[in-house]
Amino acid sequence: MAEKTRIPQSGSSAAAAPASGWDFLLMMLTVMLLGALGTQSLIGTLYAWWGYRTQPGFEMTAYPAFIAVMNGIAGPLVVALVVVMGLCVPKRLLARRTLAAVSTVMVTVGVVTAAISGSMATGLAVYLGLAALIQVAVVVLTLTGARSLTYVSESRIAKSGSGMLHLGFILLALVVVALQRSPYMLPVFYVSAALLTGGSALAFYARSSSRTATTDEEAAS
Amino acid sequence: MFSATATATSLDALVTTLGQWGRFLDPAILIAAAAVVLAALAPAARRFLPAALGALTATLVIGEVVLAWFHLRLWDLAVLVDPVTGRVSGSFAVPMWIESEKLYVWALILTVIALVLRRHRAELQPTLAVAAALLATGALVWGRPFAEPLPSFFAQYGSYLAAWNSGDVGMASGAFQGLEGSRRFYYNTWYMWVHPPLLFVSYGAFVASFAATVLMIVKRRSSFEQTAYRWARFGYLPLTFGMLIGFPWAILAWSGESWWWSGKVNMSIMMWLLYTAYLHARLYLRRSGMWRVVAILAVLSFVALVLTYVTTYVVPGAHSVV
Repeated sequence: MAEKTRIPQSGSSAAAAPASGWDFLLMMLTVMLLGALGTQSLIGTLYAWWGYRTQPGFEMTAYPAFIAVMNGIAGPLVVALVVVMGLCVPKRLLARRTLAAVSTVMVTVGVVTAAISGSMATGLAVYLGLAALIQVAVVVLTLTGARSLTYVSESRIAKSGSGMLHLGFILLALVVVALQRSPYMLPVFYVSAALLTGGSALAFYARSSSRTATTDEEAAS
Repeated sequence: MFSATATATSLDALVTTLGQWGRFLDPAILIAAAAVVLAALAPAARRFLPAALGALTATLVIGEVVLAWFHLRLWDLAVLVDPVTGRVSGSFAVPMWIESEKLYVWALILTVIALVLRRHRAELQPTLAVAAALLATGALVWGRPFAEPLPSFFAQYGSYLAAWNSGDVGMASGAFQGLEGSRRFYYNTWYMWVHPPLLFVSYGAFVASFAATVLMIVKRRSSFEQTAYRWARFGYLPLTFGMLIGFPWAILAWSGESWWWSGKVNMSIMMWLLYTAYLHARLYLRRSGMWRVVAILAVLSFVALVLTYVTTYVVPGAHSVV
């Protein structure tokens, strides 16, 4: 029974390359981090609900402390998510060994920047800026049809969507982490929103223009 | 020259007219909803389901047209005037999916989805049709869009008219300031015309996705998983865009408020994170055992959707009606 369920879809290609263990590990890490943030949101909401019901004036007295605790818990999770995304982004462009080296350099630059500036946000911003630069290169190379990128999909539309989607995530993280008080916040946010929405549309809806169905979905990974 | 008394009289007449429409539409929608439930649940009557669903869609659409007329008249009649300067500030473009009309629009969208779906139509349509019929019934019983339209808006605008009539300029000015803020940052903002319908479309798609996921779990057929995924990816796009456009609006409209980590915002983020995790995990469906992870994430995502909706009415805070 489960065997039937495991078959991904009717139009899938048996010849499509299986996902590597590295890709799968990154995906599972992403899912776990997203799940952890979701769980935190649920627990936080339940706590706030309980607080409003049992503590008079909860919003005036205990809410700032609640926000501080939530930020404190979410901080490491978001940092981990950003790092995983940073590892995921250049995998299209680089061989795994090079990727590991580049990722290590990026993390090191981020950590050193944070240490020198005394600001975790600055370190993250530098890290995200580097990741964004690499992803811009990936998107440009994808749009120009470069063959050096390691996508499984043969659909350029889906590949472009995937690249835009990841770039959008990075820019959104940059807005939240570093640009909240910057005059560039809204323009960068709108660019990220356009990339996320347009990228989602291309990555998830380009199937009809693809030669195989499954490969398009993998392009979105 | 603005007259608060004349405005109140005109609005009373408008609400009365809407109520008269409701006396025809409420029973028509309820009868159609009952027919849908009957046709979906009784195997002998199943062949009448498309007709019953069509009737429910038609009555809901007629109701929506009547509500659109009501909102247009509201734009003409409900004017906001500064009591100090006498300057006309503007009218109210009250969105057609807030307060008493929220569930109604959601029911309409789900009904249309149940009507037009093609893949696994025979298996999915009865479930979605019953869900749409229950939503439509709930919309009339709890929302009462025709009998008691826009209660918060009318309460606020009624207070403003009463303050204007009291002759106390200070009180009238205070009421004006409060209502002008609501008009500019809530009722008339473009965001309120885009954000809710996008989310309702995504919610409707996620209901279809959830129904297909349950069928996949029960019947262990991969084609149901396909259908669940297609509806989820259809819903994910408006969900993402709808939530994204909320960010700049929230910064502007809730400036100074503790909206980050408030209940509804929290739960909305959780729902989006879980659907993102589901779509991400689904990319590796061919891996042994991954279908279980994907199924669990799909169910959890839908539970998060329900909790997100309920949170609005249970947990106080920004984006809440408690």
